[in-house]
Amino acid sequence: MLVQRRTKGGIFAAALTAVATLVASALPAHAETGVSSSTIKLGITVPLTGAAAPGYNKIPAAMKAYFDYVNANGGVNGRKIQLVVKDDAYSPAQTLSVTNDLILKDKVFALVGTLGTANNEATTRLVNSHGVPRLFVNTGFSGFADMKKYPTTFPLFPSYATEAKAMGKYIADNLAGHKVALIYQDDDFGADALKGFATAGTSFVAKIPYSALSQADPSVVGKWVTSIVSAQADTVIMFGVTSATGALAGGLYKAGLIGKVQMILGSVGSDGTTLKGLLGPLAPALAGSIAASFLPSPSDATDEYVNLFKTVNTQYNPGATFDNNVLVGMNTAMLTVQALRAAGTSPTRASLVKAIEAKGSTWASAAFSPILFCAKSHVGYTGYWFGKLGLDGNAVSVDGPGKYTLYTTDSGSAPVVKTAAARPAMPAKGLPNN
Amino acid sequence: MKLKSPRARFFISIAIGAVLLFISGRVDELRSYQGAQVAIFAIAISSIVLLTGFSGQISLGHGALMAVGGYSAVLVQSHLNLPYPIAFLIGGAVGGAAGFLLGIAAARLQGPYLAGTTLALAVGIPSLANQFHILGGEQGLTFDIGTAPSWIGKDFSQYRWFFWVAVVAALLIYWLLRNLLSTRYGRRWRAVRANPTAAALAGINVGKAKVLAFTLSSAVAGLAGSLYAMLLGLVAPLAFTLTLSFTLITGAVLAGVSNLGGSIVGAVVLVAIPEISGSITSHLGGSEKVTSNLPGLITSVLLVATVLFAPNGPKWPQRKHQ
Repeated sequence: MLVQRRTKGGIFAAALTAVATLVASALPAHAETGVSSSTIKLGITVPLTGAAAPGYNKIPAAMKAYFDYVNANGGVNGRKIQLVVKDDAYSPAQTLSVTNDLILKDKVFALVGTLGTANNEATTRLVNSHGVPRLFVNTGFSGFADMKKYPTTFPLFPSYATEAKAMGKYIADNLAGHKVALIYQDDDFGADALKGFATAGTSFVAKIPYSALSQADPSVVGKWVTSIVSAQADTVIMFGVTSATGALAGGLYKAGLIGKVQMILGSVGSDGTTLKGLLGPLAPALAGSIAASFLPSPSDATDEYVNLFKTVNTQYNPGATFDNNVLVGMNTAMLTVQALRAAGTSPTRASLVKAIEAKGSTWASAAFSPILFCAKSHVGYTGYWFGKLGLDGNAVSVDGPGKYTLYTTDSGSAPVVKTAAARPAMPAKGLPNN
Repeated sequence: MKLKSPRARFFISIAIGAVLLFISGRVDELRSYQGAQVAIFAIAISSIVLLTGFSGQISLGHGALMAVGGYSAVLVQSHLNLPYPIAFLIGGAVGGAAGFLLGIAAARLQGPYLAGTTLALAVGIPSLANQFHILGGEQGLTFDIGTAPSWIGKDFSQYRWFFWVAVVAALLIYWLLRNLLSTRYGRRWRAVRANPTAAALAGINVGKAKVLAFTLSSAVAGLAGSLYAMLLGLVAPLAFTLTLSFTLITGAVLAGVSNLGGSIVGAVVLVAIPEISGSITSHLGGSEKVTSNLPGLITSVLLVATVLFAPNGPKWPQRKHQ
């Protein structure tokens, strides 16, 4: 009897579950994937382990800290932001694998700040087929602004071509007659840079490509130094990730070339704190290097954005040194919050993309460059300022602390324009009110 | 009809395939992706089982042979506009040709020397992509086999289609290898593995047998490489790293290197490890550092445990003649 009753109970439970499932599946879909009445779930892929990790592995924690700050102040339209972080070790195969998890298993609403050119390329098919917004990708590959190929992708950083053009103009204005060598990562990242330098008309005594991650190999760094010496270069541009800059500085130091060769660093590879960590006692070797940036210097105590982010960092990200990576993470997070607010009280993936196109150019951000998002363009920032690294590893503007001259241009053939920096004022307490 | 006859195996393969393809319609996209991953890894691991378990040679460079197959498939598809099944076959054929050349050298090498040579291959070959413009450099080349043909059905997800393609390829390879291993070639390889001198005395051309095994194994790895390219949608040096080669060997060791059927188990374990470690950390609420390093730890522990407690491979159901 008991057995029978159990069976009956089981059948009843099963029937109930089946009915519940049917009803649930027949109900109209109220919420968008990744959005509940109390939360919005976002995802990010970054190298947390491996050769490319130093520096970049601080970005997700910084973003989380800013989201926590916003969540503690009411969230976005009453919803708290969650960030799911996945490590891809900078391998495109791994990026695809973990992005599958983010989109299909964790069911995130959008991706934000995903890092790496090849890495973002590898997940494009998946992202496009599910219409997942991919906000503010952490790469300067100009191709991602192609709206036909990447309809839901928004690059934020100025393209590498823009950066190379600005750098070319800076060299022509300030370092004319110098013998310049160029070291670049041999992929679209570097190809974009070569294109920009060609447009700017910069000539090189040596062009030295290296494959991603090979900077960890001392013999590769040895080859760079040999090429620099044999070309008799007195200036060297490093267009690579931070660990490559570290490797170059170490190589130049060993060869006794510090002070004899002027280093010019791209924005991707010039974070002072990370370099200090990589180089240890050798860090002062970098002092005097020229670095391109679009965000304010993290050491600029007069900057309202920097000061706010520092406070948030102390409170919500204890133990993390405030540096460029933290700044990048928080700035990306601040723009994300404005995008989510603009997407409406019942945000959908489509409304998020539309909101960025419609209003993105007006949002508050720490960078001095204007943002160009509109219905016809997914290009974000467009300009750079130049600074010199001090002994503390932070860049100080060549025009003096707190004064920034911006070199603005596009990824194509437009000329480089020098302007004084301007940007929207920060909303009260750094909490977006758009 | 005997169960071990080629025809019986053919029907068994078809039955297994039908069941798997039926299941594919019942699972979500993520499981389809993982299923395709398992099928592709199983093919790649079976190439190592064929080489190491049956002919007694070792290779640490099968990731590189996968790269050869993957790049070949992508190049013929993009430059010659050939349909992708032919691209896959060419991927296998070019992989086999590379293996033949390598096999000639390999037949003269043994133990650590062979391991070293193939290791150099694993390190060197993927970086060739940076030397030749046609190979797309660090960025790699994209590979798109398109969606499922419309006659198969509507709403057929991309990953489900990949799963179908990979499963059909895997079953075909298994059927071929299973049959091959019960022919005189299979018997010769086992004789060579057990005792090369005795095999030579028995009239077996040891060198020839080894080269043949290397060629076939590489062709299978090349096919796996082109399927891997299909799954990733691209070929790039970073997709065929040393880690891939080592992962395959780990899979083969977990499978029991002389057991063809075990390679499926090895592939399932490889795909399941990140999944398992993910659910462990989400339950324990570990930090990101733990999450990103746990899969490596689990793999290493499993590998060490296998070598310590089951040096001849775990006892999956085995056939007597093995």
